[in-house]
Amino acid sequence: MTNALQFDGIEKSFGGVPVLRGVSFAVGAGRTLGLVGENGAGKSTLMNILGGNLTPDAGLMLLDGKPHAPSHPTDAARAGVAFIHQELNLFTNLTIAENLFLTAFPRTAGVLVDRRTTHERTAALLAQVGLSAAPDTPVAQLSPGERQLVEIARALSMDARLIIFDEPTTSLSTRETDALFALMDQLRARGVAMIYISHILEHVLRRCDDIVVLRDGAVAGSGAAEEFTTARLVSLMVGRELTQLYPSRNGAPTGETVLEARRVSQPGVVRDISFTLRRGEVLGISGLMGAGRSELARILFGLDPHTDGAILLNGEPLHRAAPRRRIARGLAFLTEDRRHEGLCMDASIADNVALVSLRQHAGRVPLRLLNLRRWRETIASIREAVRLSPQARDTQAVSTLSGGNQQKVVLAKWLLARPAALILDEPTRGVDVGAKYELYRLILGLADDGAGVLLISSEIEELTGLCDRILVMSRGAVRAEFSRAEFDREKLLEAALPREVAS
Amino acid sequence: MTAFLRRALLSDYFVLGLCVVYAAAVAPFTPGFLSSENLTNILTTLLPLLVVALGQTVVLIAGGIDLSATAVIGLASITGAMAMNDETGWLAHSPLAAPAGVALMLAVGAGVGACNGFAVARWRMPPFMVTLAAMMGFSGLAVWLTHSKNINALPAAFTMLGGRTAVAFAITLAVAVLAQLLLSRSLFGRWLYAVGHNPRAALISGVPVGGVVFSAYVVSGLLAALASVLYTGQAETGSPVLGQRILLDVIGATVIGGTSLFGGKGKVLWTVFGVLFLKLVDNSLNLLSLSVFTITMAKGAVILLAACLDSARARLGNP
Amino acid sequence: MKTAVSRFALRHAPLLLFAAIIVTLGVLAPKFFTIANALNIAVQSAPVGLVAVGMTFVLITAGVDLAVGAVMFVGAAVAAKMIAAGQPIPLALSAMLGCGLTLGAVNAFFITRVRLAPFIVTLSLLFIGRGFALWLTQTRAMNLPEFFLQLGAVRWLGVPVPLLVLALVVALAHLVLTRTPFGRQLYAVGNHPENARRAGLPVRRLIFSVYLISGLCAALGGILALTQLGAVSPKSGENYEFKAIAAVVLGGTSLFGGRGAVWPGTLLGVLIIQMVESGLVMLNADPYLYPLVTAAVIFLAVLLDTARQPLLSK
Repeated sequence: MTNALQFDGIEKSFGGVPVLRGVSFAVGAGRTLGLVGENGAGKSTLMNILGGNLTPDAGLMLLDGKPHAPSHPTDAARAGVAFIHQELNLFTNLTIAENLFLTAFPRTAGVLVDRRTTHERTAALLAQVGLSAAPDTPVAQLSPGERQLVEIARALSMDARLIIFDEPTTSLSTRETDALFALMDQLRARGVAMIYISHILEHVLRRCDDIVVLRDGAVAGSGAAEEFTTARLVSLMVGRELTQLYPSRNGAPTGETVLEARRVSQPGVVRDISFTLRRGEVLGISGLMGAGRSELARILFGLDPHTDGAILLNGEPLHRAAPRRRIARGLAFLTEDRRHEGLCMDASIADNVALVSLRQHAGRVPLRLLNLRRWRETIASIREAVRLSPQARDTQAVSTLSGGNQQKVVLAKWLLARPAALILDEPTRGVDVGAKYELYRLILGLADDGAGVLLISSEIEELTGLCDRILVMSRGAVRAEFSRAEFDREKLLEAALPREVAS
Repeated sequence: MTAFLRRALLSDYFVLGLCVVYAAAVAPFTPGFLSSENLTNILTTLLPLLVVALGQTVVLIAGGIDLSATAVIGLASITGAMAMNDETGWLAHSPLAAPAGVALMLAVGAGVGACNGFAVARWRMPPFMVTLAAMMGFSGLAVWLTHSKNINALPAAFTMLGGRTAVAFAITLAVAVLAQLLLSRSLFGRWLYAVGHNPRAALISGVPVGGVVFSAYVVSGLLAALASVLYTGQAETGSPVLGQRILLDVIGATVIGGTSLFGGKGKVLWTVFGVLFLKLVDNSLNLLSLSVFTITMAKGAVILLAACLDSARARLGNP
Repeated sequence: MKTAVSRFALRHAPLLLFAAIIVTLGVLAPKFFTIANALNIAVQSAPVGLVAVGMTFVLITAGVDLAVGAVMFVGAAVAAKMIAAGQPIPLALSAMLGCGLTLGAVNAFFITRVRLAPFIVTLSLLFIGRGFALWLTQTRAMNLPEFFLQLGAVRWLGVPVPLLVLALVVALAHLVLTRTPFGRQLYAVGNHPENARRAGLPVRRLIFSVYLISGLCAALGGILALTQLGAVSPKSGENYEFKAIAAVVLGGTSLFGGRGAVWPGTLLGVLIIQMVESGLVMLNADPYLYPLVTAAVIFLAVLLDTARQPLLSK
């Protein structure tokens, strides 16, 4: 029997950084394959290729034995591949029925929507997935779990032969999770092949027939589910040769606290977060996507509110200070999304680098003219300090730079502000190995000079290589703390994985 | 060849080149186009337009738009005239009439700008709707206050500001220099460009985004009021509909010059050339005895073309 | 408690405003509450109503059409010139509709093919169109044959013809928006254009059609406007774009797209605007105040729409 799906040597790079390096595996007909791997292992990229959102640089896909090379999501859908994303693709202003049949309404007289038939077909599909909402319910009124069932219903309405579930249970209650699993059993009985991506390893082990572990863009292990245990999965996900060296530290944390969080809470986002960051310390925050790390960073910086708790900078509480006041008091924030929040992509390198610290160069009121000579000198010196590519001219738009150089620009911008505490959110994402080392050097240098560094990263190795302590977050709360002596990659990953019992 | 074309299109002086090309193309068919009298005429009518277009440039750089600028011209005109005129004005025959009148006009402009800025920055309302409503409201206000009548008998000290070309030129030059300093060398200018490029990144980088946007609209209102001083002086009469016809010119000139409708891009020099180009077109069509309507249509088409050009240049700049 | 009340108020703003204005005007001018007056208001609102119906389609896709006033003026000018040149009236009427479709197509082209922002395209076309119409009429008013005024006064089954036309168009538009795949797809595009593209919807074609619809409705509105005035003047179609947008937004349609209805929404909005205008006349208010009031109404409409944004989940 031909496999439902076959990947053969799939390769993909972004901006010179390889994300998939010759991935090959198969999904048996009517079988459920569990796909596990750390963030950045390549799972999403692979699924996007399968679903027609991206095209591979090399390699083939075979669907039911036939070549599958979708250039658009609709191609993939027509071929029978349905992708239930983490962020759902439903139109919140339409009803369930309308979402399901938006491109293929049953019609009366060829012009009007045949409401009765649409209603009936929707009801039938909803019955199949076990959703008890009325077909004309606006999607905006549905819970995330219910919306997911609607997506699955849509997959069924398009006669999907292969359904991909991407972290389906993250926003589901226990009851909804059970309903989903029952539905998956039904689908399996009907011969539908499935790919199930999840960090909840107990689920993967219990519900999948086969498992594939991705690590660093390649298959680290595969086989029938019975052959695996949680421990083995974890070690396959994490274990790798130390290909990266980390710069050595010249300083050590002093006793002085620079940033402190006391029982910070925001309902639905973070719960009871407390930590202290000392001068000269690199404190890592580990955890999976959705654990609340970036959300915590935004709350610390004042971009999002928090209902309870206090944040203190240099001993002084921040209350509801706006970001620019926190910057003035010594806080800095390198965001996760440099394209949309860290850089003005169409602006020049010089303009981006100078943005935070402009005030230091401004003259007196009313015009506050900039001392251009000093400005240029400052920019030149920081460029050298971060070792920004010398070929790039100051007037060039940052959009022309590589990922690594772009990140250096963002870091340079914050370094010029001489922060007392710097929050870094995924600073080496999308950055090649060479630039990564440079960034590590700068980050450690900052700590050595006496700043406190809060490092959020999904790469456990990066954290163990750079940090003095690591906090592990899961589902909005701090679950564990590890000091340098206790660093153990597998233990760190395990602490981050959500337990089966959902809240 | 394409590399040259690309450099030409993206050059600061592209529009100046267009002006030269246009003038050369049109001059043979248009008697008197290149006469010194006509060129002086072009200069005189160009100056007030440049002032208000510079204000528009500031708002466009910040990523907004100010459709009420022309209404401000009318409102400021009649407010100043009501205060200054020798017959019924509060300041009639006072030696302070002209300076106080000018101050009042500028205050009106700043006030309208502040209303716009507040609605856009604080209440997050879409700029084109807010300034559209402002345009209707404030021009309606001007017409209501004067019952559509013009106000004459303005003090000579005032009308000379706009009426004497040398004075108007000096004022405009000062504004242009100040604007250039503001945009290219001041703290506010850098912040303005950052907000226009990426308001989110600007906020995270500590830029007072709300304040910058608010100020941009105030500047636009102020400059529109200053343009009104020049226009009113030229016309020697306070008129509630003074700016009515030039909304197209203002936006068209700024966009032709190269200021982007999407924000983050714009220069004083570009606007100068854009205004020059528009005035050349306007003037030549007038000399050819084409009706006002044809000219309006032509300018509408020019704006459309300018928007297309803006879009093309944006795409060229980011391949 | 307070937020629950304000949420309710914002969600049902059109109906609440409608009621509030009726009550206020009824108190200030008792003559307001007569049937004759109500009918009068309804008939007078027909031209704006038609334009607003077309505008609703455009706003649902998060676009805007500022050229509708030009469509009305151009259509009226073309018809007047044709009739003055001896052409039969039905031909002139068809030409008016043709103008609407043509201008709409030009807008649609620049918006979908050249990818320019709707407000700058339609703003340019507003000026080009008005300039063209001013040239056609040489800024002089031109009278149209009695036929038009009669059409405005004629009643069919007791209902004035303009009102019938409005009712018919509203009904048709309501049907299209709520019961055809096309209509439902428009809402999807307005809600999330990227998802719509990914789902395989013909987004460009959908957006193209709404500007055609808007042009056509504006042309129809122009015809009805002629039935009230019997002449075309430089003031034809003036400010209709603002009145239409205000009516549509007051009626609950969002400038940000994805939300709105012609029934009861836009219709209520149109009646609100017309009642305010008629009310001002009844109260013998200074005619110079009208644009001020209209501007204030537009501002209020947009403010409400903006305030509603975070409340209604996306």
